[in-house]
Amino acid sequence: MSELAVQPRHNVRFLVAGFVPYLLAVVAAFLAAGIFIAAMGFNVPEAYSSILFTSFRTPTAFIQTLLKFVPLMLMALGFAVPLKANKFNIGLEGQLILGAIGATAAGILLADLPAFLLLPMAILAGILFGALWAALPAWLLYRFNINEILTTVLMNFVAFSLMDYIATEVWGDPGAGHPTTIPIAPGAYMPLLVSSPPLNAGILIALLTAVVVYIYTNRTVSGYELGATGSNPRASMVYGINTRTMFLLSLIIGGALAGLAGAIEVTGVQHRLIEGMQSNYLQLGIIIGLIAKGNIRAIPLVAFFIAVLEVGASAMQRTMMIPVEIVFIVEALILIFILLADVIRRR
Amino acid sequence: MEGIGAQVVSLAKLVMLTMVPYVLASQGTMLAGRTGLFNVAQEGVMLVGASVAFLVAYLSGSLFYGLLAAALAGGLFGLALAYFTTTLKVNQFVIGLALFFTGLGLSTLLYKYVIGVTLQPPLIPTLGDVAIPGLSRIPFVGEILFDQNVLVYFAILLSIFLYYLLYRTSLGLELRAIGENPKAADSLGISIPIYRYVTAIVGGMLIGLAGAYLPMVYTGTFTAGIVKGRGWLAIALTFFGGWAPHLIFFGSLFFAGIEVLAFRVQVRGVAIPYQFLLMLPYVATMLIMIFASKRVGIPAALGLNYDRERRTLLD
Amino acid sequence: MTSSTILRMKGIRKIFGTVVALDDVEFGLNSHEIHGLLGGNGAGKTTLMNILYGLYKPDAGETYLRDEKVDIKSPGDAINHGIGMVHQHFLQIDSYTVVENIVLGTPVRNRYALKLDEEEARIIELAERYGLKVEPRARITDLPMGARQRVEILKALYRGVDILILDEPTTNLTPQEVESLFQCLRGMAQEGLSVVLITHKLREVLRVCDRISVLRDGRSVFTIPREEATEEALVRGMVGEEVEVKTSLFFRTGEVGRDTVKVGERPILRVEKLQVIGPQGRPLVTDCSFEIREREIFGIAGVAGNGQQELAESLLGIRPIAGGNLWFDEASLAGARTRDLVEKGITYIPEDRLRDGFLPKANVAENLILGYHRQEPYSRRRFLNWKAIFGTARLLIGEYHIMPPNPAAMAADLSGGNIQRLMLARGFSRPAKLLVAHNPTRGLDIRSTEFVYSKLLEQREQGMASLLISDDLDELLLLCDRIATIYRGQIVGTLERGEFDKYELGRMMSGVMTRE
Repeated sequence: MSELAVQPRHNVRFLVAGFVPYLLAVVAAFLAAGIFIAAMGFNVPEAYSSILFTSFRTPTAFIQTLLKFVPLMLMALGFAVPLKANKFNIGLEGQLILGAIGATAAGILLADLPAFLLLPMAILAGILFGALWAALPAWLLYRFNINEILTTVLMNFVAFSLMDYIATEVWGDPGAGHPTTIPIAPGAYMPLLVSSPPLNAGILIALLTAVVVYIYTNRTVSGYELGATGSNPRASMVYGINTRTMFLLSLIIGGALAGLAGAIEVTGVQHRLIEGMQSNYLQLGIIIGLIAKGNIRAIPLVAFFIAVLEVGASAMQRTMMIPVEIVFIVEALILIFILLADVIRRR
Repeated sequence: MEGIGAQVVSLAKLVMLTMVPYVLASQGTMLAGRTGLFNVAQEGVMLVGASVAFLVAYLSGSLFYGLLAAALAGGLFGLALAYFTTTLKVNQFVIGLALFFTGLGLSTLLYKYVIGVTLQPPLIPTLGDVAIPGLSRIPFVGEILFDQNVLVYFAILLSIFLYYLLYRTSLGLELRAIGENPKAADSLGISIPIYRYVTAIVGGMLIGLAGAYLPMVYTGTFTAGIVKGRGWLAIALTFFGGWAPHLIFFGSLFFAGIEVLAFRVQVRGVAIPYQFLLMLPYVATMLIMIFASKRVGIPAALGLNYDRERRTLLD
Repeated sequence: MTSSTILRMKGIRKIFGTVVALDDVEFGLNSHEIHGLLGGNGAGKTTLMNILYGLYKPDAGETYLRDEKVDIKSPGDAINHGIGMVHQHFLQIDSYTVVENIVLGTPVRNRYALKLDEEEARIIELAERYGLKVEPRARITDLPMGARQRVEILKALYRGVDILILDEPTTNLTPQEVESLFQCLRGMAQEGLSVVLITHKLREVLRVCDRISVLRDGRSVFTIPREEATEEALVRGMVGEEVEVKTSLFFRTGEVGRDTVKVGERPILRVEKLQVIGPQGRPLVTDCSFEIREREIFGIAGVAGNGQQELAESLLGIRPIAGGNLWFDEASLAGARTRDLVEKGITYIPEDRLRDGFLPKANVAENLILGYHRQEPYSRRRFLNWKAIFGTARLLIGEYHIMPPNPAAMAADLSGGNIQRLMLARGFSRPAKLLVAHNPTRGLDIRSTEFVYSKLLEQREQGMASLLISDDLDELLLLCDRIATIYRGQIVGTLERGEFDKYELGRMMSGVMTRE
């Protein structure tokens, strides 16, 4: 629950002991994937190099990595906060989509507003829509004690259909070959920090959000109650914590974070709602959250690492024809090896 | 008069056809769940089942080998689940999600490796119907129940068998006891690891078969979106069926019915945009869950690992 | 009736993490005997028997059954060797019937149809032979504690055991049920069975056991036949020389210095016709009325399961009240939330301190502030003050000897004893107007029990009243100003200090009312 484990005299040893298993897990996962790559007849060192270093070879690639980092980190936070209360928010995908829909709606419907109003409205709409999308499963949990894994997943599928509807019937762009909406008003565009290659200010919002989340979970009374609820709901209830409200709140916060990710994607990167924008952020967000073991401070680091892998993976598929799924399997294997490392450490 | 009758029959036949993956995946979930193992990897396992079944059938020319391979693959995932939870005591949801991701990546990876990128997706022949001599001639019922593909028969027989196994044999008595109170079962010499491993593997095989059904009966191809959430829906169905094989069977029928109706309505060109009709099964499931929440039947130790030397069950 | 040595355990050693639970322990058992295994909490008696029953693996030592070395690796092995165990918390499948529970795991005649008539007949025969009345087709959830225990015993007898281990079997029984259990055990011993009675209750072993073995701190102290055993000798065996029996609170049979503190006039808590309803609409607390005055230690005696838990929880706002009125400090408690009650000055020590009070994934400091985390100095205006929290935590760790003395240590890594101390530290950490304590010394060793008693009296001097709900009559007789008895959710009589009579309390606990 607490990330304040202060070990006064063993700082260096503690850090090393903490990192080594992670490092080994990564190495083991890469080795396993290497076998696969070799079996398929591809050049292993070249593949590794592509996966790991593409992000650092050109400014474009680096910016691309940062752009991927933003939604990945926010999604991971959206998974980690409910995880503190021992709830599994698998509905991040739908919440992201609803956030994107919210931002798009604001960007199209309120197009006449001046930029300094329109952009914040779009972001807020995204956060709100995402939170609301999580609120329904949260309420079902609160009122009927229905397992949130199921309900949040079901909401994902409803969100897909909704996105399709909006991207084809409501604000569909007839000229596009793929379900996409018309662009949002320029007033809702996120300002650029770097213009070429384009890096939008969303990254600042995201990093700030991570700090706020950390302060919330570790320094507020509500954050304490969240962690206590996840650690022992019965004991928390006996000592006066309203655990059912905590479960509800944790999922809504998760939805808000995913919604923010969606809003930033729309206002910062695509400037419209494109079907499929959710990509594989859900799976990656959960993997990041689990690899980081729900530790808020570790999430930005792990998210960046995964972003590097993902950029590397697409480059690898483009240049070497190796399927990107290899990297996805590497990521899943890292998780599994870390779980194994935990088991060994316990013995 | 004839027209409506024929329509009802064809609808009912379609429902029977549609319920199979749900029955198989849910019963597989139920079986392991009854010993306390909560599998949440179904979506990934079904994808692997679908992919493996398609590829093996494509390469070997035999649908049977495809089914076998899918069952084997599913069984392996079940084995992994049992190993990580029962022997290593890892949190069941975490390893379930990890296996889900693995299945997700592996299924597409295998397809891309074997088939590569093609303009025209390759096809396999789909499973044909096998009419049971005599019985299939009965008007109405005959065509619905006795003129289907083998997996439909399997699903029906499986459900009957599982009901009998769980409630009428001492094996079932012991199995259910583990899910209710593992410490009590252990103290009486019942081997928790054996039951959990076996049910996880068999359950995994069923889930793999559920995945195999999709390319082999519906489409004849494999795509990344072929499972379309049925793995998750299977979990909901298991809850709705109160973790009881007979109720799960009827729940699956009900669910398949909704899916078929939604499709029919869509085809009819009703004024509702088709996207909302697509939402229907999922929304219906959530409503169903509200009713299921009142029902008794969830194994008390579901989702919790057991360690003999610990005082409480492990999260 | 010749008795022979049937079991020998030698050199048994068991370590949990860094705690040595058993160190070179010896234990011998004869046929035809009831053997008491006596010791305080933490002495290792249950651990030793768990090893015999295959639930734990010993780190060293050997077991000989009828002079043949055996290696019991699981409960299945133990049963095959003729050893049965009745645990303190019954291991039953609530939704199954009595017959199903008893035959579970045994080869059943009709494997493939599950018709249990033959088995049922065998069970009825066994039940009659040993005087254990049960209703075979009843569902466990519907049975009272005494009946459930009979089912547990029958489970072992059904499997034809020669050795029957009973772990603290009298905890949940009325004095009358205890007597009938002992009669039953005597009958079994006469037939040739060996019975091991694990208990911390001195007087019981003296009543029913043929031989008594005493364990202390994981070591064997001695084994003596009943004729040679005296209460004093057993006490010395259990506590060693460290605790001065004369000055110790635990062994007081008389009064505890109460001249210095006078009970107040004003009632701090008033309970009037309280009613609490259970899951199936059954009233668990009904027409319950009593009053506690400032600085009073008010005891509630009763056999476990008569509404104590529900009463305590309703006072804390954890359970909803179906009827009646509650006043705390002159203010009505209707609809009050637990967190408000804590703020107003009610503090709670639950019976199951782990389940109802322990946060495994948190550190020591976080555990210590649970329930008080909204108050100064732990937090101010929604933000936690970690400096103050850690500061207080260090003080408490020192006072209660919690090891390791690190507020940031993960609580789950602490040993069982330290966790208990942690829970107690929290319970007494804030000044309170009323302490509601349910079996606060259950599971504690003698030194910790002493500490709790002294803490209770110390806080009393500072103005705290206590509601002491306890299964242990001796504890109540030692500390309380008044003792009420609860039976089936109702207060059936209250005695003032001076009128205390153990046997009268025992009668009231069994529902025999002699007072109006």
